[in-house]
Order: sequence, then C-alpha cells, then structure tokens
Amino acid sequence: MTTNTAAPDQTREDRPAPGRERTQWTRAVRFVLSERVALLSVLLVVVVAWFWFLGQNDYLVAPYDADYLASALETMVPLCLLGLAEFIVIVSGRGGIDLSVGSIVSLSGMALGFMVGEWGWPVIPALALTVLIGGILGAINGVLVAYLGFPALIATLATYYAYGSLALVSNDKAPISTKPIQDLHSLTRALDLPVVPDLPLQVLTFLVPTVVVVWLLVNRTTFGRRLYAIGTNDVAARFANIDVRQTRFRAYLAAGLLSGVVAVVTVAQFASARPDAGSVGNGMALPAITIAVLGGVAISGGLGRVAGVVVAALLVVWLNAGILLAYEGSDGSQVQLFALGAVLVLSALLNAVTLRRRGGAR
Amino acid sequence: MTGLAQAAPLRRRRPVARAVEGQELALVAVIALLWLALSVGTDTFLTGSNLRNIVFGVAAVAIIGIGMTPIIVTGGIDVSVGSMVAVVMVVVAKLIRDSGVSAPLAVAVAVGLGLALGCVNGLLVSLGGIHPIIVTFGMLNVFRFVALRIFDSKQVTGVPDTLAWFGGGQAGRGLLGIPNAWWLAMVLAALMWCYMRYWATGRHWYAIGNDATAARLAGIKVRQRTVAAYALTGALVGLAGCVLIGSGGLVQQNAGTGLELQVIAAVVIGGTSILGGRGTVLGTLLGALLVGTVTSAITLLGWRSELTELFIGLFILVAVGVDLVRERRRSAR
Repeated sequence: MTTNTAAPDQTREDRPAPGRERTQWTRAVRFVLSERVALLSVLLVVVVAWFWFLGQNDYLVAPYDADYLASALETMVPLCLLGLAEFIVIVSGRGGIDLSVGSIVSLSGMALGFMVGEWGWPVIPALALTVLIGGILGAINGVLVAYLGFPALIATLATYYAYGSLALVSNDKAPISTKPIQDLHSLTRALDLPVVPDLPLQVLTFLVPTVVVVWLLVNRTTFGRRLYAIGTNDVAARFANIDVRQTRFRAYLAAGLLSGVVAVVTVAQFASARPDAGSVGNGMALPAITIAVLGGVAISGGLGRVAGVVVAALLVVWLNAGILLAYEGSDGSQVQLFALGAVLVLSALLNAVTLRRRGGAR
Repeated sequence: MTGLAQAAPLRRRRPVARAVEGQELALVAVIALLWLALSVGTDTFLTGSNLRNIVFGVAAVAIIGIGMTPIIVTGGIDVSVGSMVAVVMVVVAKLIRDSGVSAPLAVAVAVGLGLALGCVNGLLVSLGGIHPIIVTFGMLNVFRFVALRIFDSKQVTGVPDTLAWFGGGQAGRGLLGIPNAWWLAMVLAALMWCYMRYWATGRHWYAIGNDATAARLAGIKVRQRTVAAYALTGALVGLAGCVLIGSGGLVQQNAGTGLELQVIAAVVIGGTSILGGRGTVLGTLLGALLVGTVTSAITLLGWRSELTELFIGLFILVAVGVDLVRERRRSAR
C-alpha cells in the first residue's frame, strides 16, 4: 500500500502550466515523456531502426526485414490479447489483477481439444464454446472478486492453481493432437498477400477484430465509462448510482472471454491442445501484466488506454524478434528476459518520476 | 492494491492482538484433523521418513515465507523470490564445486547475495515509488536473466555435499530426527514472531500496512522499514537456497520457478491479509505445513499429483473466505 503518486489523468498532462513560456522543443519532450503511447512509439521506431541498421551491416544472423517483422506478429497475438485482458481487469481498480489467465488458456484449450479432437464436434460451434468456457472461468473469478469480496490477487492465485490443475488432470498431462485438431492449424497459416508482407492469418481474424471490439467496449459503451469510474474511485462511483459489483464482475468476465480467444489461437498455432499451454516458463500471466503496465495502465486502476497496450505488445514482440537475431543459441532468450524486466522497471520508474515532478511532492 | 486503502478504516483492530489468532487455531485444527485421518486411513503416513519428507519439502517455502509475511503485512508483495533463489543457488553451487569453499563461507555468501538482491527490490519500491508488484515482476525477469547467465546454458552437476547440514539426507537430521532445515524455519519463525509482536520496529510494519501515510506522520521511517522487509526476505532467500542445494548433486536451470506463488499461498493460507496490516509468521509456518501435508496426502492416497494444486487453490479460497466473514462480523459489531 505505497502512497499513490500516479493519480492525475494522462490526457491532461500535456497542458502547459499557466504563466510559463515553453519552446516547442521542451513541449515535445514533455509530451513524449508524459504520454505513454508517444513514448512507446518513439521507442518502437528506435528499436526497429536500430535492428534494421544492424541487419544492413551484417551484425544479425538473418535479415531484420518487413517479412520477418510480419511473421513475428504471430507471437504478438496471445501476448496482446492477454495484455488487453489484464488491462480491463487492472483498470477496474481495487487491486484488480488476474493471475489465472494462463490457466484459463490451458483449461479452455483442453476443452477445445476434447470437443474437436476427441468427440468430433463441428469446429465453429466448438470454437464459440471454447471462448464461452473461458468466459465462465473468468466469471468465477468475477464472482469471487466482485460479489464475495476476495482480493483479486488471492482469488486469481487460487483459480490459477485450480484451473491449471484441472487442465493437467483432464487428459492425464497428455496433449491432444488428433487429426481434427491438427487441421485447426489452417486458422493460423501465413497469408500470401500482395504488396504488404505476408501476415499470419490470426492477426487479421483474431487480433484486429478483438482489439477493435475491446476499444469500442472501453471507449464507446456505458460499461467502459463505468469501468474507468469504479477504477478511479469505488465510493464515488457507487454514489453516482453505478452498480460497482456488476461492472467489476463484467471486467473479469471480459478477461475470461479474451483468454478463451487466446486458447483458440494457441491450440491452432501449435496444432495441439496442450494442458500446460498457459503455464510453460513463467506462464502467460506475467508477460501479459508486464505488457499492460508497460502500456501505461496504472496498477492502482482507472488509468490506461487500449492503444498503449497494443503499442507495448508490438514493441516487446519486435524487440524480442531483433534480440533473437542478434544473439546466437539460448543467449537470445535470456537477453529477452532481461530486456522485458528492464523495460518494465525503467518505464514504471520514468512514469513515477514524471508524475511526481508534475504533481509536486508525494 | 492501492485502491483498497479505503477499506482499511472499516477495520477495527484490537490494539494488541491475542497471542494466537483465530485463523491459527483453525489451521492447527485442520492440520491435526488431516494428520489424524491420514494416520488412520493409510499405514505409511505416520512414519518417521514420511513426516521428515513433509517438513523438509516445505522448509524452503516456510523460510522465505518468514520474510514474505512482513512484506505482505506492509501491503507489499515480492514475486521475484523464485528467481532470487535461482541466482543464489547457481552462485553458491558453483562456488562450492569449483572453488571448494567451506560451508560457513558458502552460507555467508548465500545470505549476503540474497540480502543484496533484496535491497535492490526494497530500494526500487521505497525510493522509486513504483508499485511493489511491478518492481518485483520486472526483477523476476532480470534475476532470472542473471541466473541463466551464470548457469551459462548448462545445469550445475556434481555439486559436493558441503551444505549437507541443510539437506534432506542423513546428515541433515537434527534433534529428534527432525531435519535441520525445519528446525531452522521454526527457530527463525519464533524469533520473527517475537520481533513482529514485541519490538517497536516490528510493530511499525503493521502500522505501515494499515495506513502508510498515518504511519509516516506518526514518525515511522516508512522507507527504511520497507527496505528492511525486502532485504530481510532476500537474506532468508539465501538460506532457503542453501536448503535447496542441500546434499548437493544437481542444480537445474529452472530452479525456483513458481516458488513465489507457493510462498504467497503459504502466507495467505496462514491468515496474513494481502491488503496489509495483519498477519503472523506462525500462521505462515502452519500454512506451509498444511500445503506440505496435502501434497503428501495426495501421493499416499494414490491420487494424481496434479490434484495437489487444485487443493492448494481451494485452501486459499477457504482460508481467505473464512477471514472475510470474520472481518465482516468484526466490523459489524
């Protein structure tokens, strides 16, 4: 419970203080430092330009060109969608966080494996049902957090264990990769596009529509407005006649649905329903929370934008893609870890410093 | 987590908590019931070797939990302990294998290194003004990177048994045949329990967790106490690293992954409020013991071992749920 310095709204930050002259240059610097999307975009350009430059001068093991960048987007789909799930949950405030997204991906992915791979159900309804199962699992989190009053970190830690365990038990730790599941791989094939580089199909069929839906949900519906309201101030929102519990419940429901979508993409991508899909390595929740925070979502709630999360995901994916080419063997994946951690801490530090200077003493 | 601050004024605490809180009594009862049922139900549970396995299996979690408790009591959290353990383990394992350092020096290095890593977390949290969960998520990656660098893409094999005193083998047995590691956890927990209950600086952690601003206005050095909690956890992570190296052998590159969640689970099952301001290390010790008992029970009953995590999840929900109900009753009174 540190004292919260991240209170002022980001969008108000670029307003110059009255009575003080500023040159265009300092104003631009201030804008980049205080507006997270601008900062990330600048970083993104720097990273891409830097690796492109390295690639041109033969420092990389393979060219860092448009085709490579496009194929790297494959890893962005789960990362960005789960980042958006964490974004919605964190914005809902009161310590909102969802550690269970990875386990939801595993469990609903296994459900998809059974429905299509073992029981031979038709594909389209099964896909819809998978997303729905993700939603149900998210709804359980929502009931625990919003209606029963569990702290989000605890409730989702518990369901992280529970869902993950059920996913492992469901098929005795074995993945399902029968023929119908392998056929799902066509959902994620690389498109052969004219003019633009070959994008992975799931970017167009899953990522872009979901991002648009989430953007509309957050910015153009009453639910979105209520979400920011309860995240900014629970009590004030209640006095404004907002059903705080229902709104918070829906935030966790939305996170579950997004995890269900990620389950579909993951199963299709690996052509196999893996019971540990969401828990290998550090799991999926940690990178997703990192992406959300890097994208400018304040952990205290009520603050954050869809664009920030998307640009942050893009930055991390293309940075990782470059690192893989710059280092040989397993060094690359190690440096990726360092880069992710360092970027997260430094961006949070920068945020704290700029906001503190703006907001005066803490 | 910061948004939860407004719930704090609703909570009415007795100025001096009872020696043993309700949650701890309930935990003792649950553990006793489980042990009774298991000793009747299986003939292998109540044997020396099985009980030794149980307490040794959770000793590292309990030792780190002793530091995690004050962190969570101050309203913070440290999710980087798993990666910290990996750094400590790889450095110490390589030292005792390649340089053949003696056991006391190895322990000193482990504790010192852990302390340093903990201080990094503590300073970032208190001086950087960043939320603890973000700092430690970031450091989780950075520490893991450091550990993997030192591993140099190879697991450390053939570690000698310099630290066998901490280990689970014959050399690691202490008084009454109980593993030294568990004795260590109990002694440290007892010291910590006294410190957090009777020392002024120990009480400060509770004050910070209840209301950091009020604590600062009351003259508590909030930043210093916060750094102390993280640094202490780092030092304990060093000790836990010694326990995990134990009789030596193999240190794998994935050492410590997922440990942070086990520690947090033990602390939370032990009745420490994740919102800060309430909790004891006694509860943490019991929480770790409960987790160990469940793990052992599932193996002995011949159930699938993956079900362990389902039960850990359910226990977390029950423990916190009971606490919520009591909390509501207390504030309604």
